[in-house]
Amino acid sequence: MRRVQIIFLVATAAVAYGAYLAFTAPLDALQGEFTRMIYIHVPTLWLAFLAFGVTALGSIAYLITRKPRWDRLAASSAEIGVLFSVVGVFTGMVWGQAVWGQAWDWGDARLATTAVMIFVYLGYLALRHSIADPEVRAKRAAILGAIAVIQVPLVYFSVNLVRTLHQTQSIRPDGSTMPTEILVALLVNVGAFTLLYIALMMARMHVAVLEEIRIGATVVAGDAVAPPRLSDVKDV
Amino acid sequence: MSFTGQIREVARVDLVVERRTGDTFRIVLPFAIVTLIIFSLSLGGEVAILRTVGPAVFWAISVLFGMQLALRASALDSPTRRDLMLLLNLDPAARFLGRTLASSTIVLVFMAVLFATMVVLFDPSLPGGWFWPLLAAISLAAIGLAALSTLAGGVAAGTRNRSSLASLIVAPLAIPIVVGASQVLEAMERNSGILLWILLLITSDLALLVAGVGLSRPLEEASR
Repeated sequence: MRRVQIIFLVATAAVAYGAYLAFTAPLDALQGEFTRMIYIHVPTLWLAFLAFGVTALGSIAYLITRKPRWDRLAASSAEIGVLFSVVGVFTGMVWGQAVWGQAWDWGDARLATTAVMIFVYLGYLALRHSIADPEVRAKRAAILGAIAVIQVPLVYFSVNLVRTLHQTQSIRPDGSTMPTEILVALLVNVGAFTLLYIALMMARMHVAVLEEIRIGATVVAGDAVAPPRLSDVKDV
Repeated sequence: MSFTGQIREVARVDLVVERRTGDTFRIVLPFAIVTLIIFSLSLGGEVAILRTVGPAVFWAISVLFGMQLALRASALDSPTRRDLMLLLNLDPAARFLGRTLASSTIVLVFMAVLFATMVVLFDPSLPGGWFWPLLAAISLAAIGLAALSTLAGGVAAGTRNRSSLASLIVAPLAIPIVVGASQVLEAMERNSGILLWILLLITSDLALLVAGVGLSRPLEEASR
């Protein structure tokens, strides 16, 4: 637990430094103060992609090894991914209202596919809550977790496949379209949010272990009664 | 029995069950047509609006009802039946493909009849030479929906809220299929190419079929 606390402290310091850079970086001439939305919107959605990717990896690893820790990893990452994607969509809507004059546009492929991605993972979490048996839950959730990741590239490349209101990627393999100060502040924030994700993951996985212990320790009526075993029956 | 023979047999059994119960054409199709009528009434019966929204309403109802049809097939599986399949040494991949084949046939026929009904009720303006591209779109959408619903049906089998849970899983994942299929007619209206949308449908179908075959064994285990 001490390790989690240390990582939380480091993540908090990194997020604070990221916030400092966000408030001191130059503003876009047209967007003004709303430029700063980029420092929350981009890192949260990047983390959502990362989190759902980790869910898929955890799911595949569980299907191969059948070790519960992979299931815990997949489930924890999906929860955090949904949280970050909701924050990312909300900040995007605020930004869109200020810059495009509308918070939501159904003709925009990036917005629509992101909304769909959130619902896919809400379905994943709903599935987990519907099954009581941990082993059955882990197996079925792993199957869905491995399939659901197909949404991530669909969201990412939606802006390239269809002409939309949302801009295409600003950071590409051939360079960036942003000024260096903004790019540095953005990358620091991405790093800080990634540390926050790691800290949240460690804490959530620790809670998951405690939940399993608590459920395992819960006394259910009839638990004390065991069926007779053939080896116990003597002198028949 | 060979792998293809197993696929054929699973599909045949599912289609025979469907023919005997007749639920698709006795219950689901009339309900879908009533929904089309509700849509036309709720839109105020305005001919111009109905002609415009007709195809969109058709796709929305097709996907929601088609998904239910395909999910229904996996609901027929009792634990005893699953055990029997296991004892018969039926390949899980063949079972998945056979079920998908049967479900896609049922969904395809359902969608074709529903489309004809929509044309009669909404009188949409269809672009010239619409028949073959639309048939391709409906067929590919039916395969994708059937594969997705077979997977989701297995994942949600035996849960207390099975039907709503499986629908929640299928509906968002079916979006690429809905978009691809609905845009075929739209693209023809705009005189732009339909190849991109057909490719999207083929890619989605292939991805789902590969995922279904690859995950069929763990899905079989998880359903027990």
